Amino acid sequence: MARAKLIGLIVSLAAGAVGAQPGAQPGDQAQSRTVLGTNDLLAQGAEEIRAGQYDEGIRHTSLGLAQATSINERAAALSNLCAAYAAKGNPDQAIDYCTQSLALRDNNWRAYSNRSYAYYLKGQYSKAHEDLDVAASINPEGRTIERIRGMINEKSLRPSVTMEDHR
Amino acid sequence: MRAPALFAALLLGACFATQVHARKNRAVPTLDPVGTWTCVVYGHPAFGDELVLLDVARDGTVRAAHDRDGEISPWVGLTSWYVDDATMTFTDPHSGRAYEADLTFETLGGRWRTPTLLGGWWCSRGGDDFAPKAEKAKLESAMPPLLPSFTATPIYPIKAIRDAKQGRAMSCFFVDADGNVVQPEIVELSDEIFRAPILNALARSRYQPLPHAQALRPGCRSFLFRLEPLAGDASVLE
Repeated sequence: MARAKLIGLIVSLAAGAVGAQPGAQPGDQAQSRTVLGTNDLLAQGAEEIRAGQYDEGIRHTSLGLAQATSINERAAALSNLCAAYAAKGNPDQAIDYCTQSLALRDNNWRAYSNRSYAYYLKGQYSKAHEDLDVAASINPEGRTIERIRGMINEKSLRPSVTMEDHR
Repeated sequence: MRAPALFAALLLGACFATQVHARKNRAVPTLDPVGTWTCVVYGHPAFGDELVLLDVARDGTVRAAHDRDGEISPWVGLTSWYVDDATMTFTDPHSGRAYEADLTFETLGGRWRTPTLLGGWWCSRGGDDFAPKAEKAKLESAMPPLLPSFTATPIYPIKAIRDAKQGRAMSCFFVDADGNVVQPEIVELSDEIFRAPILNALARSRYQPLPHAQALRPGCRSFLFRLEPLAGDASVLE
């Protein structure tokens, strides 16, 4: 349960269908909620993924994706599926969904951040860094981005301390 | 007519307040540098670590005597020393080194620099009878060799790894007769994040006992914190 919460903090979810609009910030969620009704399934799926109920979240998001009418909705849904699969520890499917999302909207920092986390899970730290750099260039304030970068550094950098006596 | 006078008065007042503020913020020297010191001077790529006797006189003169190849040189006069804002400075005209000591430290020591080199020095107070005429044994008893018996490695702070921070530090300290590291001071530090691990490691480190040491023996240790990419990045292997 604790792990689910931790992962929930790491993956970035678009709030329903419109959170993935270009340059969306975390603070934009309130604005997003006013139009969630355009695709309730996507909104419900996002909430479930956020709550750690990944299978339910994936099911509802997939249904919502089938009904999505706009590019924004489709991009957000795909990014959320990416987040859910990454959180489940299935990075290959996550990367596939994030890549599809970015093909629709290439300036969604959440999708880059989620794909970075998926690359991190695969141990592909260079690619993870590349995606994080793009995410950070879109949203420099993203705390999730820095958290993932810290995790990558922890795994990919070998610390050493050299000492020399002067006596 | 009154306005310029008022303005001048305000300006004077502001200047006075600035001076008082600056005076308040000045570092206050807590160490009297006058006396004879046994020092280790480090950081010169050709000379390595040098053992030096330093005689700082009340009249502003400084003399140095070096232990070179087992021979202790006669006293050599250096430039006069002076103190500004708790920083003592003097120069060795022979080597061209400009010495600086922070007199807020517990002992004499600090940095030296030439136009191309930078190093450090650290001293412990010697007795009144120290002089170059003393035989080598005298200096050796004052500066017995420091041999580590246990060198603790600082823990690389996990936050520094996450933030990809590298750094360097120099710590100087004394070694007591039992080989314990005492009074460690960080004389150079690239990032505060490394201070605690260094001090923890020094507290756990030991040197071989110095049973015949007449005074605390000065020593310094430099630390280099580095991060290297692991070769196991799968994206490289693809």
